[in-house]
Amino acid sequence: MDANASARLKRRAATIAHRVGLFLAMLFICLPGIWIVLSSLRPTVEILAKPPIWIPQQVSLDAYVAMFSGVGKGGIPVLDYFRNSLIISVTSTVLAIAIGMAGGYAFARYRFRGKSAMFLGLMLTRTVPGIALSLPLFFVYARLDIIDTHFGLILAYVALNVPFTIWLIDGFFRQVPKDLAEAAQIDGCTRWQAFWQVEFPLAGPGIASAGIFAFLTSWNEFALASQLTRSINSKTLPVGLLDYTAEFTIDWRGMCALAVVMIIPALILTFIVQKHLVGGLTSGAVKG
Amino acid sequence: MTVKRLSAPTLLLLPAVLVLAAVVVVPLCLSFYSSFTPFRLTRPETFFTFIGLRSYRNILSDANFWWAFGRTVLLLTIALNLEMLLGLGLALLVEKASRGQRLLRTIMMFPMMFSPILVGFQFKFMFNDNIGLVNNALQSLGVTRDAIPWLIEGHLAFVAISIAEIWSSTSIFAILILAGLLAMPKEPVEAARVDGCTPWQTFRYVTWPFIMPFAYIAMTIRSLDVARAYDIVKIMTDGGPAGRTELLWTLVARTAYSDARMGVANAMAYFSILLSIVFTVYFFKKLAAARTQIGAEW
Repeated sequence: MDANASARLKRRAATIAHRVGLFLAMLFICLPGIWIVLSSLRPTVEILAKPPIWIPQQVSLDAYVAMFSGVGKGGIPVLDYFRNSLIISVTSTVLAIAIGMAGGYAFARYRFRGKSAMFLGLMLTRTVPGIALSLPLFFVYARLDIIDTHFGLILAYVALNVPFTIWLIDGFFRQVPKDLAEAAQIDGCTRWQAFWQVEFPLAGPGIASAGIFAFLTSWNEFALASQLTRSINSKTLPVGLLDYTAEFTIDWRGMCALAVVMIIPALILTFIVQKHLVGGLTSGAVKG
Repeated sequence: MTVKRLSAPTLLLLPAVLVLAAVVVVPLCLSFYSSFTPFRLTRPETFFTFIGLRSYRNILSDANFWWAFGRTVLLLTIALNLEMLLGLGLALLVEKASRGQRLLRTIMMFPMMFSPILVGFQFKFMFNDNIGLVNNALQSLGVTRDAIPWLIEGHLAFVAISIAEIWSSTSIFAILILAGLLAMPKEPVEAARVDGCTPWQTFRYVTWPFIMPFAYIAMTIRSLDVARAYDIVKIMTDGGPAGRTELLWTLVARTAYSDARMGVANAMAYFSILLSIVFTVYFFKKLAAARTQIGAEW
């Protein structure tokens, strides 16, 4: 075999190996999700079957119907949980973005003493594990009588989201050239106007994605919610998931269905933001 | 009467500082104080008894605590390193793909959308010894005849938890490293090839230093959130069987809420906070160092 042919063969083998590797990796990533969706559509008998039934024999939406038909009919108060999750996530996101925008702007545009220490300090508040934070919060909230209220959880989530929001928004404002706002100010804008008319629209998409990230964090949070909520007054979906587990048995099908309900909003939102999110996190990684 | 005008950055940062002080710093101070008391939720009056360092002495001489601590560090070490390696591999694979980049990138982000509690539940389902996907597949393929007790045997349970953890967080590394690869200028790589570097040398001395800051960003983000493993463990095994997968965080939760021993739990919680802070500060330092290095070279 001449060198040309062997080089070509080698190249082909490398391409095929690359494709196979890629396929396996993607399969491993997708499989758990696919399995959940599939299980939510099959009757419980099939899930529990031994030997396993790989190809679904019958597909139905029974699990979803049962879930939404309310308490007592094999359902859990999903609508209440959904409403709580939505109210808490949206409110805390809006607040976190407002606070984060102010903070991020300060970090991106001003020089002040102890700036990097301040930044690190803010980040460190985020490192406190949710479960460790829940102990004192539980105590304080019990004293203030705001356990099992929307307000309590919103407050906690705002604090949870602010550090990371500041980091992201700081990155997005850095990408907006300083000259633009300065030019606007020379043309007679106040700093306030220059911000809203020039810098804010330019950083807008980034801020929106920071918002979605904050929303997802609140939407998915469990450690704090599981301790600070008690009833349908404020229980969120992640906590509600536990309703499907009894002492020794788990309603797998119902749980899968609720999982799908939880994941769909997250899925849509993540697709929308993916591009900006990465840009915001890595901005400044190259230029310092 | 002169009111000193606050400077703009102070004013802008004030809301953030206030909220964080109210929700994080003040409660933490409170819990720091209560770690010096024998505080029990059921007996509020114990909040004012001062017992000094007794809680700390107790947990430091408690074998269960040290096992949980060791296990947490072990899990983090294994998970973070493997996530880093797998993420790098995944990013390189996707970057090399000539077609369907957008689709691949979207699939790659898939695990990021799963809340940790969902990840835990989903892997609990898949690793179920009786009806789980993993055992079903292994049995159908004839690898094993008996069901493997994934979540029932201590070591296997630890493996299962690690897999769940790695599955859920590898994509963060992959995405950020991929962003680094895409942002990288092509000339240095070509120059290295022209100069006769092997692919490995090109990667090691040209590509890797460039994407290192991106890897550290991923590490920092991860270390901000290491405790999310609590959700996964809580669902998958709840620290069982017989405490063999008990992590620091599940131990804290159990001591505080099941045993109602808040004082002791707070003392333990401080160890977990310390652990997180050490991880984060370490990676922040690395990140800063890597950034300045890149700045000097490119």
